[in-house]
Amino acid sequence: MLMLEQIVATRGQPVSNESIDWRVIARCQQGDRDALRALFESYKDRVYSIAMYSLGGDEQLASDVTQQVFIKLMTRIGQFRGDSEFATWLYRLVVNTCRDEQRKQRRWVPLADSALVTTTVKQTQAAQYATKELARQVQHALGELKPKLRWPLLLRYVEGLSYEEIGKVLGCSKGTVASRLNRGHSALSRKLGHLRGQLGPE
Amino acid sequence: MKLAMFSKHVSDLSSAYWHNELAPTQSRRVAEHLIGCSRCRVEFEEVKLGARFAEQLALVSAPDSLWPAIAAGLNVETAPARRLQFLKPLAIAAALVLLIGGGLYLLLPRRVDQQSGWQVARLGGAPRIGSESVNNKSRLGVGQWLETDANSRAKLEVANIGNVEIDPNTRVRLLQTSNSEHRLELARGRLSARISAPPKLFFVNTPSGVAEDLGCAYTLEVDDAGNSLLHVTAGWVSMQLNGRESAVPAGAACATRTGFGPGTPYFEDASETFRKALTKVDFDAGSVAAAKGAALGTVLAEARPRDAMTLWYVLSRVEPSDRPGVYARLAFLVPPPKGTSREGLLSLDREMLDRWREEIDKSRGLNSFGSLQITWRRIWTGTVGKVNGPQGKR
Repeated sequence: MLMLEQIVATRGQPVSNESIDWRVIARCQQGDRDALRALFESYKDRVYSIAMYSLGGDEQLASDVTQQVFIKLMTRIGQFRGDSEFATWLYRLVVNTCRDEQRKQRRWVPLADSALVTTTVKQTQAAQYATKELARQVQHALGELKPKLRWPLLLRYVEGLSYEEIGKVLGCSKGTVASRLNRGHSALSRKLGHLRGQLGPE
Repeated sequence: MKLAMFSKHVSDLSSAYWHNELAPTQSRRVAEHLIGCSRCRVEFEEVKLGARFAEQLALVSAPDSLWPAIAAGLNVETAPARRLQFLKPLAIAAALVLLIGGGLYLLLPRRVDQQSGWQVARLGGAPRIGSESVNNKSRLGVGQWLETDANSRAKLEVANIGNVEIDPNTRVRLLQTSNSEHRLELARGRLSARISAPPKLFFVNTPSGVAEDLGCAYTLEVDDAGNSLLHVTAGWVSMQLNGRESAVPAGAACATRTGFGPGTPYFEDASETFRKALTKVDFDAGSVAAAKGAALGTVLAEARPRDAMTLWYVLSRVEPSDRPGVYARLAFLVPPPKGTSREGLLSLDREMLDRWREEIDKSRGLNSFGSLQITWRRIWTGTVGKVNGPQGKR
């Protein structure tokens, strides 16, 4: 179990469900801002990434949604009773907030160039450009998928959730998750097949 | 993992197989089937290729400016709820207490809350709290005045969020200190505040405006007429009065005038000609239109790209007939972003103005206030009520 200070020290790095100190959550439930800050530091990139990918790469919208999620987290964490993993509860909040925002926006726009992800791996300029361009194409193709196919892909590849966890977040069975991922993968493959040569070796 | 049983083909299980989400026996059956079934093998290769593309989705770093906005949102979000929670069980009792206590309050000498006050340190001379000299154990209670003469200075510890240095010839009073709000009144003189806390937690009332801390360091001085001058050295400070608001970034200043409220913020390295003309535009209500028009012309002519922030405020504060000129100059310095129109900006469309403001902040390497302001406005309008924009009427 990680203490609050350790969680703060690991800011930006993924924190597994098991490593969240329940005392941090308990302190959040008592309205402790420092504890919320610790959770924020642990999850901000994941929440922001999901918002960014699911909202068409709109940075401002993604920031707004991330803010909304953590404000909701603080006001609703009293309802979290620990009968599911904290991360599952949080991602459900993220998905619902993003869906609400999508309904408000009534749009699904191609990702903006500014939203492109940069990798931390050192690359030559040409390789960096190629990686960036490929990422842009993948994000664009993702944006064209139906939400029911897009969400399992995001939760799997951005958050690294298992099929069971994805099912809990989305409120469906593992079989449904498997089926939707299957269809999502096939759709990406058909849309992006011409870029196969840009993928590195398996 | 037990998924639907397959009779013949296994293409439905391709993803689960690829992700190793199948039970060992199922996994083995899929592997065996793939060896002999070219159709399922083709479909599996398609899923695998899609998965390899999906692996390009990387984590995106959240911007650093998010936390202050969240903290600010929490202040707005939690305040009414707490108030309601408090009021529900105590409503009847509170009414009785108010009824009886109100009468007693008028009869008894006013008591000062000293326990919840702030620690005071003497920095020089003989500062006083009421009629008593400040010593090492002094605290400034709610309702008490701290006064310095020409030779004395003092330092206040603002709960656990920062400190305020009180310069000579200054008079301040502690109005409130609680987890959700700390508020001082600066009647005259000068103070320097250094606050490390979420925005909207520390306020200073002056006769001509309220300084609202947005996570910052600043000095604020008030003259005998109640006019004030704010200099921000770090972060942002918002000056407000009667719905008129000026958000002042580091390196900028903002004057306020009794009866007018906050003027237009400006960077302190702007030319003297610019600053003098801006003062006329802001506060010289008595001057004839021609003189004011000339002052506005000077502001526009002298404005540098760095002064675009100032022109952004000016646009919404001048008469409608003057807006096209301001718009043209501002658009020259920082072109309006996509999604805005000249007509919309001239009619002070809130959303378009916000977008332009963000563009202006970005051009200066800032991205904090625009998004903060928009977020606060959304949260605020969704919960408590409408916050007036920076173009509030005089």
